[in-house]
Amino acid sequence: MKIAFIGLGIMGRPMALNLLKGGHQVTVWARRAESMQPLLDAGATGAASPAEAVKGNELVISMVADAPDVAEVMRGVAAGAEPGLVAVDMSTIAPAAARRIGEELAAAGVDFLDAPVSGGEVGAIAGSLSIMVGGSAAAFAKAQPAFACMGKNIVHVGGAGAGQVTKAANQIVTGMGVVAVAEAFAFASKNGVDRSKVREALLGGFAYSKILENHGQRMLDRNFQPGFKSWMHEKDLNIVMQTAHELGLCLPGSAATAQLFSAMVGSGMGEEDSIALLKLLEKLSGQE
Amino acid sequence: MKVGFIGLGVMGRPMALHLQRGGHELHVWARNPHSAEGLPATVHASPAELGAACEVVFTVITSSSDVEGVALGENGLVHGMAAGKVLVDCSTIAPDVARRIAEKLGEKGIHMLDAPVSGGAQGAIDATLAIMAGGDAEVLERVRPLLDCLGKRIVHIGPNGAGQVAKACNQMIMVAAIQAAAEALHLAAASGVDCAKVREALAGGSAGSRVLEIMGQRMVDRNFAAGIEARLHHKDYGLVLEAARKSGVPVPLTAAVAQQLNALMALGMGRDDTSSLLRVLEV
Repeated sequence: MKIAFIGLGIMGRPMALNLLKGGHQVTVWARRAESMQPLLDAGATGAASPAEAVKGNELVISMVADAPDVAEVMRGVAAGAEPGLVAVDMSTIAPAAARRIGEELAAAGVDFLDAPVSGGEVGAIAGSLSIMVGGSAAAFAKAQPAFACMGKNIVHVGGAGAGQVTKAANQIVTGMGVVAVAEAFAFASKNGVDRSKVREALLGGFAYSKILENHGQRMLDRNFQPGFKSWMHEKDLNIVMQTAHELGLCLPGSAATAQLFSAMVGSGMGEEDSIALLKLLEKLSGQE
Repeated sequence: MKVGFIGLGVMGRPMALHLQRGGHELHVWARNPHSAEGLPATVHASPAELGAACEVVFTVITSSSDVEGVALGENGLVHGMAAGKVLVDCSTIAPDVARRIAEKLGEKGIHMLDAPVSGGAQGAIDATLAIMAGGDAEVLERVRPLLDCLGKRIVHIGPNGAGQVAKACNQMIMVAAIQAAAEALHLAAASGVDCAKVREALAGGSAGSRVLEIMGQRMVDRNFAAGIEARLHHKDYGLVLEAARKSGVPVPLTAAVAQQLNALMALGMGRDDTSSLLRVLEV
């Protein structure tokens, strides 16, 4: 398939590379020209703008930072779109913003999918991302061959915005999961108990989770390299909290978690992995 | 002085009347013309027309975007007010929006003060509002005689936006105190103790506060008719959390209280008084 890919950061670069490996013809555009080079070296075609990138393509995929960036990219896409184009945004943005962008694209005759991912840089490189998709069944079917190159667990959740709602739910669970494991470890150490033994014991029971297993091990190793930067988790939880505010939805656990991530960003830990939350808890509990 | 007024709601209407009774010529514009009925005022067709006719214009409107629209939008104040005139915005809006509006108006030489108020509907009626002003001190001195018609305590906090920051601080402390009063009285009731007696005893001690006095009485009387509608505090909490986030400041208690306000909205109590936080606990 002929695919345009926009946004070649930590996630976008390996995702676009996997499309090339899957035998698709890929045109790329990125705000910073130097980030396009690895893709050009691998056989992609470069474009000078999003509008130019979509010319002659059946599918366009964006992977950028935040809703204003998606809106701007998609304005360019709408300007260059030919009939039948399907646009897929795989960034994490607010469900309401995704629905708005979808409506604007529909007015230009472009079918839109919101398809955020989970699995991080590791999943992007391995082509094993979870992809949660909102939008029409027809557009989903058209994008499916591209999704198959980038991810494993690909679910068409529902209509416009449903993918972003699912991603927000994912961030609630992973955000609170990181807090839960970090608090359990802080609790164990302050009680003079070996946290690595605690982790090992818990892995066999009902408290088992991927977060306890993988993030827990990295906490034990004190390996706070991202991974998933804490400022991004804070941004995602802000989407959750703003949506809760708009809808009248009581989320006390998410609210407390969002405040902890906000404290991390405020105290200069934004560029570290979100599991660096452990360090914040240790500081607050006199365990430095 | 010719004084303009936009936003004739629960707060704005008594404030406008105080200015008129203070000997000023009142001019108004209202999105819904019915709101201006019965006021001793000249009614204008647009904010721009009102702005052209007045020395000083007051606004008391609900949201950041509404204030921005009235000030800078099509037929907005900016298109009518002359250089040297003053906009006094008494609404509660985001500090960065207040700064942006001041900057835009400043390009045309129009002065602005962000001057949010505290004291509720009763404070507006009694002209006892606390007014927290952001902007040039000289501009504040020029309009101080007008503000004296509206309130008792008028404090210059700092430059543009500072008034809104102070108001955010006010809302954090006040609504958290309402939640604390609600939880305490809920515990008292659940323990089979007379809430009225608890409130009376506490009012004389270290936990005494205006919130316990006024909102606590409403809870005891189970009189949940607004005062200030809870939906406005819910809106303000959105602003506070956004400001805290932008500053990288953790506000865990505020965030927890905000969730109780979200629940209050979901329960359909947004038009009732914020003392309804008690009823959220009783669900």
